[in-house]
Amino acid sequence: MRATNMKNTISKAMLHLAPMAAVAWLLTATAYAAAPGITGTTFNLTAQPAFISQPDGTAIYSWGYGCSTGFAPTFTPGNIPNAACPTMQVPGPTLIVTEGQSVSVTLTNGLPAAAGNTSILFPGFNVTATGGTTGLLTQEAAPGGSVTYTFTASSPGTRAYYSGTQGDLQVEMGLYGAIIVLPASVPSECNSGLASANLAAKAAWGESDYRLAHAAYDHPRTCYDREYLFQFSEIDPIIHTQAFAQSTKVCPGSSSGCMQVATEPYHPAYFMINGRSMPDDMDTNYATQYPHQPYNGNPHMHPGEQVLLRIIGQGRWQHPFHEHGNHVRILGRDGNLILSTSDSATTPALAGPLLFTTTTTPGQAMDGIFYWTGKGLNWDAYGHNPSSADSSAKLPCTPDANGYNTSAPTAINYYEWCQDHNKPMQATPLGDVAGGGPVTLPDPNIFANGAWFGGSPYLGPNATVRAVGSTGTTPPSGTIANSPTDEAGFAFMWHSHNEREITTNNVFPGGMLMMMLVDSREFVIDESN
Amino acid sequence: MTSRKLDTLWFLVVLVCVTALPATAQSFMVQCPTSTITHPAPNNNSEPAYTGPGVNGAIKCQQISGGDGYATMGDGTQTYLFAFGPLSGLYDIAQGKPGTQFPSVFNSLYTGATPLQPGDPATTGTIYNGAVGLIPNLDANNGSGTAGAPVDGHVDPRPIMDVGVMNGNLPAPLMAIDEDDEFFLTLTNVGQIMRPDLFEQHTVHFHGYPNASAFYDGVPDASVAINIGGSFTYYYLAPDAGTYFWHCHITPPEHLQMGMVGQMYVRPRQNRVPIGNSLYSALSAQQGDPRTKCDSADILCSNPLPLTTPNTATRAAGGGYAYNDGDGSTYYNVEYPIQIHGFDPNFHFVGMTFNPEGFADMKDKHFLLNGRSYPDTVTEGPLQTQSADGVNHYSQPLPSIINIPAGGKALLRISDLDTTEYQTLASLGIPMNVIGINAKLLRDQAGNNLNYNTNSITLAGGESLDVILDASDTTKYPSGSVFYLYTPNLDHLSNDAENFGGLMTEVRIN
Repeated sequence: MRATNMKNTISKAMLHLAPMAAVAWLLTATAYAAAPGITGTTFNLTAQPAFISQPDGTAIYSWGYGCSTGFAPTFTPGNIPNAACPTMQVPGPTLIVTEGQSVSVTLTNGLPAAAGNTSILFPGFNVTATGGTTGLLTQEAAPGGSVTYTFTASSPGTRAYYSGTQGDLQVEMGLYGAIIVLPASVPSECNSGLASANLAAKAAWGESDYRLAHAAYDHPRTCYDREYLFQFSEIDPIIHTQAFAQSTKVCPGSSSGCMQVATEPYHPAYFMINGRSMPDDMDTNYATQYPHQPYNGNPHMHPGEQVLLRIIGQGRWQHPFHEHGNHVRILGRDGNLILSTSDSATTPALAGPLLFTTTTTPGQAMDGIFYWTGKGLNWDAYGHNPSSADSSAKLPCTPDANGYNTSAPTAINYYEWCQDHNKPMQATPLGDVAGGGPVTLPDPNIFANGAWFGGSPYLGPNATVRAVGSTGTTPPSGTIANSPTDEAGFAFMWHSHNEREITTNNVFPGGMLMMMLVDSREFVIDESN
Repeated sequence: MTSRKLDTLWFLVVLVCVTALPATAQSFMVQCPTSTITHPAPNNNSEPAYTGPGVNGAIKCQQISGGDGYATMGDGTQTYLFAFGPLSGLYDIAQGKPGTQFPSVFNSLYTGATPLQPGDPATTGTIYNGAVGLIPNLDANNGSGTAGAPVDGHVDPRPIMDVGVMNGNLPAPLMAIDEDDEFFLTLTNVGQIMRPDLFEQHTVHFHGYPNASAFYDGVPDASVAINIGGSFTYYYLAPDAGTYFWHCHITPPEHLQMGMVGQMYVRPRQNRVPIGNSLYSALSAQQGDPRTKCDSADILCSNPLPLTTPNTATRAAGGGYAYNDGDGSTYYNVEYPIQIHGFDPNFHFVGMTFNPEGFADMKDKHFLLNGRSYPDTVTEGPLQTQSADGVNHYSQPLPSIINIPAGGKALLRISDLDTTEYQTLASLGIPMNVIGINAKLLRDQAGNNLNYNTNSITLAGGESLDVILDASDTTKYPSGSVFYLYTPNLDHLSNDAENFGGLMTEVRIN
């Protein structure tokens, strides 16, 4: 092979290999995200070194927060199996507390002595630090020593926590995590009306509830049905290599250690969501193959579900996180709900922007709500066909005040957008989907099908199988990540739009990328594994 | 004798293949129905006046090629592109206008005396805005000839290849639609003739389309990608008004860096309100349609009624509105799409030369507004670049000169598709009034406008916003004055090794 062909061979081979690796995991254990963490009011954490893994096979020496030996945390949501809190993980344990609680975090420094002191900052809280030694920004834990931080979880929302000591090195090495404060009181709107109908729809299909709370803030517009946490960070492997090489240096008496690691110029090659690069991020939470990267990024949702996104920038760079499929309503930043200043109502209207690209900023967290309904497509995404022999193809759509089919929580077209009900997309019939629509679909042979292509233009197994059969459009696809007979969801790429960041050490695809799936109600979303 | 037999054999093989395939199996084809179930009237060739809630609008069509080409950088460098090019609205594109056409124009057959040439319209100056390649369906009427043969999307691939190969544009062809339009966008993959080792598929991602279907979202992993030699028609009902943009979604770090980025915006139905009629009444009327109403319980409600009532704003004569504001706050006299981008010359060199590409150390050295760096940004008319076929092509049709009539307002539809870093664009002179972000009106859910004045905006790849430059004060901004848009990222005011250029253009008060 000529060298000139390498680009093509490498990138195309990876293009196929990486999704297939993801497929293999998806087939063995479907993996959904939730926002898992540990809960309580007292947390005993440690900062320690370990190697984390990347999908190119590289093991990267890193530092992370974890649970101190002997500390047995309470995991939440409680129904996710294999939950673990190792002594080192990236990101650190997600701390889940409730508004008004007094929270105490004791940090023990298990980093190499050469790394010197370490600490945790909790921006947005009024922190009292006890013990340890005096540092620049807060009290620090000397090598082998401890420090305790105490604060009141004053207001709800998602926030970052991270090292306040030699941040250019220690945060880069992995010393960061998330703290989620749940509202003390959940508005009644979050347990009635559409919120309760959505819960009934979940229950009808045997789906459990994995929410940490039913609202993000003490505000009725912040009710949600599912939630996912995304922490964005980068790794410059040269920094980590230097740190590893110097980790055994002996430097008695120096609180800042004696490492001489150049943190500039900065050339990150790994771009991670929740400490993992694609496709690893779509593997299960607490997967045993990533003992130090327990959290995934693999959102699923049904049409109409209000999905809370908790997004944090944990690296040094900003990342334009683009959510395909719809806009996101930003509720608040760093736990500050954004409300209309002129609205004198007891619950003032929201004033956060609607964004299709939610830029992450170092150290900043934001909460936003996303949903997908298919409103405005101008064709029936379910491929309903009133003249079909299949009863599922003839389901009614009864519009509520907003035009959605919300009165039938047990139907597979619950939350369908009724204006487009029975409206054909294709000019000629396709299988058991009626014609008469505006578009002529060309010969499938001129296409290449993606690994997450559901097999037809339509949403859900019933529509897809009626349209094109059990294998989807050619080529037959029994091994894809979104099977026509089982899932046939609408897959949307959620990724950094600084596109070079959807690579893993120069290989595409990788990095800050995941596939979000909107699944019809027939497909049971199980966030437990 | 032997060769003639072989020729005959091949002819038969080809004939059998052609006849065995259904009409839909034609690889290249375009779609532009003159009427649909949504637009049942026989004529949908103009935007109707706004009458009330429901879908009115019209039908719009556009054809683009996916392939390659060359562009000229600010330092004169000829740079290789992976690129989209125009295959409809050739003349309009060359004039800096959208290549989006009504069916009556899109479906008009080319009748010029000489066939379309490579580089057209630069080569012959042809004035033609229809779909390149469109011919009557000679297979209809039992193949009895052209008399009465329908124009139903069948194409002759020869003009498509003549015009589409090596004809990439930077940015990709401009698209503009109006709310309630049905938009038929045909992507025709003509291959990348300078990179015969590649078998690149291409797609269109309509960035920001609300409630998108995965099928028409253009992500190859989640849908279908279009092979070389094929056409695919994307179908959209025009979404909420706003400044969107589009790009290929195949191997994005590569295809976006190499130039497959374009502009697209949706004009509001408020533009169609008859002159003198109340804007507030029109927006209120739209609350009667669940598709366009803003329900207070809808977390993604994008366009609430303005808080100020009674609201006396009426549709002005001329000009337009960026959003369905209901209060006239987004009015402008002229609008300019501005796309921010960046090119890494090393990556483009490698991209032309069959070598493996690195992504992590991608470093832009050319900083582009509408595909041009200063001083090319203030060059009138389309920029030409000689491609590898020895022919001059209109490589960069859009200047970035902002011409504002004295006392007027300009809407800048700014999008960014840089693949590497954030870029800032500042205004020297006229403040930037930011009225929309990410294709949504800046207004809180109580109805307060949240537009704000600033002197600079910062965007990453994948973001857009709307800025109004208000020059209505003719004392401050008299006719004949010139102001500048430039980047305070001072290292971006360069064209590779040249230290004066880059992300800068002029605002001229006429």
